[in-house]
Amino acid sequence: MSDRVLLATFEHEDDLLAATDAVRRSGFKIVDAFTPYAVHGLERAMGLRPSRLTWVCFLCGMIGVLGMLWFEHWSTSIDWKLDVGGKPWNSLPSDVPVAFEAAVLLAGFGSVFALLAVSRLFPGKQPQIINPRVTDDRFLLVIDEADAGFDTAAVRKMLQEFHALAVEEKITLPGGDLQ
Amino acid sequence: MSTEDSLTNPQRSFEAANVTRRNSVLRRLAVAGAVVLACGIAFSAERVWSNLLVGTFYLLTIALGGALFVALTYVSGGGWHVAFRRIPEAMAAVLPVAGVAMLVVLGVRMSRYGWHHDWHGDVGTFWFKELWLTPSFWAVRAVAYVSLWSLLAGWLVARSRKQDRTGDASITGGNVRISALFLAVYAVTFSLASADWMMALEPMWFSTMWGVYNFAGMIQAALAVVIVLGLILRSNGGPLQGVFNDEHLHDLGKLLLGFSCFWMYIWFSQYMLIWYSNIPEETSYFITRTHGPWGPIVVGCIVLNWVIPFFVLLPKPAKRSSGIMMKVAIVVLIGRWVDLYVMVFPSTLGENPVFGIWEAASISCLIGTAGLLLFRSFANAGSVPRHDPFLPESLHYHTC
Repeated sequence: MSDRVLLATFEHEDDLLAATDAVRRSGFKIVDAFTPYAVHGLERAMGLRPSRLTWVCFLCGMIGVLGMLWFEHWSTSIDWKLDVGGKPWNSLPSDVPVAFEAAVLLAGFGSVFALLAVSRLFPGKQPQIINPRVTDDRFLLVIDEADAGFDTAAVRKMLQEFHALAVEEKITLPGGDLQ
Repeated sequence: MSTEDSLTNPQRSFEAANVTRRNSVLRRLAVAGAVVLACGIAFSAERVWSNLLVGTFYLLTIALGGALFVALTYVSGGGWHVAFRRIPEAMAAVLPVAGVAMLVVLGVRMSRYGWHHDWHGDVGTFWFKELWLTPSFWAVRAVAYVSLWSLLAGWLVARSRKQDRTGDASITGGNVRISALFLAVYAVTFSLASADWMMALEPMWFSTMWGVYNFAGMIQAALAVVIVLGLILRSNGGPLQGVFNDEHLHDLGKLLLGFSCFWMYIWFSQYMLIWYSNIPEETSYFITRTHGPWGPIVVGCIVLNWVIPFFVLLPKPAKRSSGIMMKVAIVVLIGRWVDLYVMVFPSTLGENPVFGIWEAASISCLIGTAGLLLFRSFANAGSVPRHDPFLPESLHYHTC
């Protein structure tokens, strides 16, 4: 990503969807899109890859269930054999509820913390809002001015076709955060 | 084909040749199965009856599951499913036929339920059960359950079909109220019916989770039937082509995944409580089913009803794929039969599992009869509820 981006503001979600689709089809790189609420179909218009978060969730769940089964087995029938109600040692049914809970807990926490880490979110982080109105009634598309061949005028013209309210250039800070 | 075509022309028939071929195959399956079963009465009446109980309960719970799906979505204010709501409605409309079949099957065998003539065990401590299972009271209840379900579900479906003709949007609001009534009646009566018809096969055994266990299996199988019918009816220029889309399929896949887990959760909860407390009158059910030759069948039942649907349906693309969804739904439907087989056969036929010509015939009869009834029921109404206020929402539905 270069340090210059083009910001296009829209009033309607349909315009944003159509513009995003057109910009992507024309071969430009979309940095991000900001909307006041979840817009259905935007991930397809932006050409986003399927989320990898589901794999994080699945792996954490498997670690939870297998890890807990092993721990219960180890703690009740290897390290210190426990006789509970005359049941045989290493009784699988009694291990299942805790293993299930551990799977749910780790899958849930794993997904949340993985998302926070990938999004670089942490307590006390200063919000960087490009335009406060994206939290209210405006839709914003951020396009990367990838190289010298980027024809700002042509892109501007294309965006006008989708009723862009404003198209402006911004310079990004080191680390990719928007100024 | 565009959505508009199928809306303006809901009765547009799909490949007539395909339908004729399908119906003749189903008819052959039904008739062949029924003939073999009829012969079977002479050889092994008990086995034939056990098969009939499994088959009719299977059909009845599919019909009831359709009504439940319709009622649940009305009450929850759902709009996503309206485009294909005629499928669960077609299932619900089969309720009277399935209900009468159930009553006949129960009726012919009533005198042979274990508790009918003589009690085994200490009846003194089970005075309420003795009262509850008084044959006449038991029979009256069975008729009451079936009548209530047929009446309420029939009312719901008839009004939805009426909306096609009148276009009266207030019918939707009225159906929400009928659905709420149906759900309240259903929750109590189905729980009791499953205890009366299935749990009472072993009258001295009891489980307070029986009702919810049967509910779990029922809704899971009903969802699988909706998926199978939807995929068939949208293929080859069928009436739901362009109407029943991948978004709907995706959501049905999520529900099937969820209810497969729910079934497993409930199955295990019932098993674990009984295993843990280890009280003889409770463990009798699972001793027959988990020790000896029934053990592997119970494991197979769990693989079919939970392991396969869970791991196959987890990835998002699987839930949007016709091929995968069709296969998983069929696996779940086979699993449902095995689940009922494990509920009934050890009680009626004892410790050795049997599978032979009579079981094959009853499955063939079930597939044929259910297929014929459901497709005919679907063809009885417009394939899309064209005046439902939520229809546009359903047609433009997106999920992720």
